[in-house]
Amino acid sequence: MRQELVALIPRLRRFARVLTGNLADADDVVQASLEKAMVNLDQWQSGTRLDSWLFTIARNTWIDDRRRASNRMVHDDVAELADLAGEDGVMLAEQQATVREVRAAVDQLGPEQREIVALVMLEEYSYREAAQALNLPIGTVMSRLSRAKAALGRIMVHQGESE
Amino acid sequence: MSAAFTDAQLIAFLEGKVDEKLGEAIEAAINLDPALAQRVETLADEADDAAAQMVRAAFDRVLTDPVPDHLAAIITAQSKAEVIDFAVERSQRMAPPPASGAGSSERKVSWHWPQLTAMAASLAIGVLIGGFVVYGAPRGDIGANGVADGALVLASAQGPATPTAIAAMLDTAPSGTQVNLGTLGSGEVVLTFRNYEGQLCRQFSLEGAGGTSDALACAGDEDGAWQLEALGRRVPQAGEMQLAGGNAAVSVIAAVDAMIDSDPLVGAGEAAALKHE
Repeated sequence: MRQELVALIPRLRRFARVLTGNLADADDVVQASLEKAMVNLDQWQSGTRLDSWLFTIARNTWIDDRRRASNRMVHDDVAELADLAGEDGVMLAEQQATVREVRAAVDQLGPEQREIVALVMLEEYSYREAAQALNLPIGTVMSRLSRAKAALGRIMVHQGESE
Repeated sequence: MSAAFTDAQLIAFLEGKVDEKLGEAIEAAINLDPALAQRVETLADEADDAAAQMVRAAFDRVLTDPVPDHLAAIITAQSKAEVIDFAVERSQRMAPPPASGAGSSERKVSWHWPQLTAMAASLAIGVLIGGFVVYGAPRGDIGANGVADGALVLASAQGPATPTAIAAMLDTAPSGTQVNLGTLGSGEVVLTFRNYEGQLCRQFSLEGAGGTSDALACAGDEDGAWQLEALGRRVPQAGEMQLAGGNAAVSVIAAVDAMIDSDPLVGAGEAAALKHE
């Protein structure tokens, strides 16, 4: 059980990174989420998915955080950019630029679009699973992701023009 | 109603390539019509989602980043106070044993008490069972009353004492059997296994007037005495939901997770292993 939780941390970080827009805030969300998970382990129902349970906790944590502090819009933090620059030569500079552009584009989406992107695109939830997780009608989930994709396309085109 | 939209329109909707007005119309129709929802889901399953691949590629880096220690530690070192206590205990175990030989028994005794006091303090959160605190005596230590090396010890108002009832339970009781521990209440061995060093280890619970506690003890190499490895007080369960791994104290579950290196020993296998210890 604990090993499963530890194994989920990288995915939880990625999920939180998309929600929050930067790694430092993501790790704060991850930390608070793991602490809540440990305290409430007895509330996880055996037979249900541990990862979904953890993502729900993380999402609630993030929502609470945003309620407290008005949402700051932060872009890739310095550490992350430095990371990227330090990546070995396998990745072409061109691809790096794309990766960075995509990340920056996702970060510019609204919070509701970011969470649907995190669930469906990254975690590969089906629309039905995402609808359940977010407590939304399935058509609304589809529509929200549709608009997120449209927005990503617009932002990417705009980035391309401004370079 | 479902037929009002073409597949091409629905695929464009999924890809974010419809205008706002058509998008809203499709969203509303899907929310009203489960058959249409199903149709769109099928289309989505069949589609090759290039946008999702692009986004995954952009964030996959986070998956391979090393996890910061402080995050992993939340899971592996829950009940921080207890973990610290056992770290202290371990460092004490590592301490060189006092010189043996003639005339050393007094030294052993005098060496014992300050440590015992320190441990009693560090285990202030220790497990209270009917007014007793159970803890492991440091390895290399000979107790004032002749308690064996590394044995379980009970601290009580009357001074340290060997919980012979617990030791006896660990020596012989099969897993899953309630054992009467006299003034301590009752106990039960939950799990028997071997750790990475091949030592026999047993997770057990103790139920007394002070509540239920969980502990893990492993048999020492030389003398077979039980060495306490982890200890935790069980948190009362809210509601009726049960964890797959039982409701044992998290610090004990963590210690088992970290040490277990065999399938659980049960039945004849367990009995044979106990006989050898």
